[in-house]
Amino acid sequence: MGLRKGALVVLLAAALPAAAVAAVAPPADTFHLKAGARGALCLSCHTDFQDTVKRPFVHTPVKSGACTVCHDPHASSHGKLLAENAGAICASCHGRLVPEKARSVHAPVAAGQCVRCHDPHASKNRANLIAAGNDLCATCHAGTAKSASEVKFKHPPAEKNCLGCHDPHASAKSEFLLRKEVPALCADCHRTDQPVFAKQHMNYPVAKARCTSCHDPHGSNTGGVLWATIHPPVINKMCNQCHQEASSPGALGLKKIGFELCRGCHSALVNDALSKNRLHWPAVDRVGCLNCHNPHASAQKALLKVPTKLLCGRCHADTIARQEKSVAKHQPIDEGNCVACHSPHASDNVFLLKGPNVVGLCGTCHNWKEHSSHPIGERAIDPRNKNLALDCLSCHRSHGSPFKSFASFDTTADLCLQCHQNVRR
Amino acid sequence: MTPSRPGTCAVLLLAVMAAQASEGVKLRVLQSIDADEKGSGLKQPQGVASDGTSLLVVADTGNRRLLRYTIAGDRVTPAGEVRLNEIPYPIKVQVGLKGEILALDGKSRRIARISPTGEFKGYVQLSGDGPAGASVPRSFAIDREGSLFVLDIFQARVIVLSPEGRPQRQIVFPRDAGFLSDLAVDGAGTVFAIDSVGRRVYAAKRTDALLAPLTGAMKEDLAFPTAIAVDGQGRIYIADQNEGGIVILGADGSFRGRQSGMGWKEGQLREPTGVCAGIAGTIFVADRDNNRVQLFAVTE
Repeated sequence: MGLRKGALVVLLAAALPAAAVAAVAPPADTFHLKAGARGALCLSCHTDFQDTVKRPFVHTPVKSGACTVCHDPHASSHGKLLAENAGAICASCHGRLVPEKARSVHAPVAAGQCVRCHDPHASKNRANLIAAGNDLCATCHAGTAKSASEVKFKHPPAEKNCLGCHDPHASAKSEFLLRKEVPALCADCHRTDQPVFAKQHMNYPVAKARCTSCHDPHGSNTGGVLWATIHPPVINKMCNQCHQEASSPGALGLKKIGFELCRGCHSALVNDALSKNRLHWPAVDRVGCLNCHNPHASAQKALLKVPTKLLCGRCHADTIARQEKSVAKHQPIDEGNCVACHSPHASDNVFLLKGPNVVGLCGTCHNWKEHSSHPIGERAIDPRNKNLALDCLSCHRSHGSPFKSFASFDTTADLCLQCHQNVRR
Repeated sequence: MTPSRPGTCAVLLLAVMAAQASEGVKLRVLQSIDADEKGSGLKQPQGVASDGTSLLVVADTGNRRLLRYTIAGDRVTPAGEVRLNEIPYPIKVQVGLKGEILALDGKSRRIARISPTGEFKGYVQLSGDGPAGASVPRSFAIDREGSLFVLDIFQARVIVLSPEGRPQRQIVFPRDAGFLSDLAVDGAGTVFAIDSVGRRVYAAKRTDALLAPLTGAMKEDLAFPTAIAVDGQGRIYIADQNEGGIVILGADGSFRGRQSGMGWKEGQLREPTGVCAGIAGTIFVADRDNNRVQLFAVTE
């Protein structure tokens, strides 16, 4: 044991001169350590670091034996005797990783969780990364990584090098941590001034259009690396069904605005929606159908822009937030199946409900006769309001509440005494 | 730099005034209006309008009719129904000059003119600057001169029409607006619009061609606002549909209070979808999912 300690001390002593050339200045000697105590003293107990410091890439403070750059040797309010919270410690040396006006920041960076990707002591990978290349990204983005490697038509950068397109920390130039905005990023590899490019795009001037409105940058099972769900006019190369002719000055301009454009093909759907008592108003605003649907291609069914819960939550943030905060979770919302209860385009019923009767609608999933013997339905008048019949929403909030079972009130007594005043004690 | 005694007094006075102002505006329920003159109940009433003196009109949406009420003091009594095939699903109403009633039909998305005696007089023409038929009115308001302000979501604009229905001008929506659901006009001709998604109020003065933010995003105070009104004192009332409340703002957009709350009891609201000023110091709220309209007194 004594020999091992001695060897470590020698190892650290050998490493110490490196501190003189290290980029990170050694810490002020806050702890008045004896000469030679720095690092070596720590390793006299932390013997398990013997293997760690042998790795090819050693964090500079470790290499210089400056353990007190990050750790307090006496006591700390933070785990692992860290001198500060982990993110703040890293930022004290690596503070410039996030641009001042970043348009996107990697979530672990924003949360100060640098150790999600980096080993703070040493690693066999460059930049002290805990895994190499795309394997590191795949630890969190497993679905994307798996898809990128398994799809029929692969996008080589996505398969081999995520960092070809993404900055792992933050981007001042684009969403999604992209190193540049699309299409400039794509144009780094794809020549848009070639005749073949024009031919593939039906001579439409798409060199400055957003490539990802049609193409999946992570690869696809569809030719042309198009997204999984494709609008038929796109796959049939009939761009002029919606856009002006390719030879016209405003070729990418639309022939009509809003729902009027989509009505040309989807007349039955649009006319049905317009015949209802209640419309989903965004469907008939200036953007119309494109508020929710992508016109070209999408990873989602029905060409939805993003998964349903996320999509609906863009406008109905309060409703989704209520569910998120709710003690109980309503399964359809949790699964992003808002359309289990709501018609997304139009309905004859309030809330765009699929049916006029709340009890009947809830009854499609919940057998209320087994649930309770409490009278509900058209003939059960709400004692609080003679204009209301009792239904499921008389007691429950369908998008969640702070109380159990989606109840509108905290305790069973609070709930029941809303109506049953005669039994109040 | 110790403040002088008069200076200290001034600061204290300002603090007291600020504290008084922050106490804000309160609502006290005066009456629930839940039936017509035959005692038949309201069903999902979405819109309310008043001439500010003696007439209240309710869009009794679920019953596919309009209801008239007479206001006398702080009491409201039924005064007959208007049921027209041309307005199968009324969702918004306004009272125009000389007792004319205007109603937006949710099904046809057209604004109908109705005489004081209840006859259908025709639809408002909204051709404006766009192609024929290319307007979708989401809501509308009328100013004291009888001009009509139509919230046209299809063309992202407010169309201003003369009392006779001639297009006068338009006010463009801001590019970054979320979704504008309702509008109101004050005595000075300033237009206010409520953004349900952005949870903010936009305003345009009489000569403005663009709606501009009057407030920031009121995410702490509003969940999903869908209706707005302004009273004779310039106070702005916003109905927060999803959380059953009324938020009151000053004419400058300053927060003056949040009143009522989600519930069934008198004074509480479930999905309020319409609000209007009544006679001085009162407002009406279309309490849709409680199948009633409520009359509130406004107190400072």
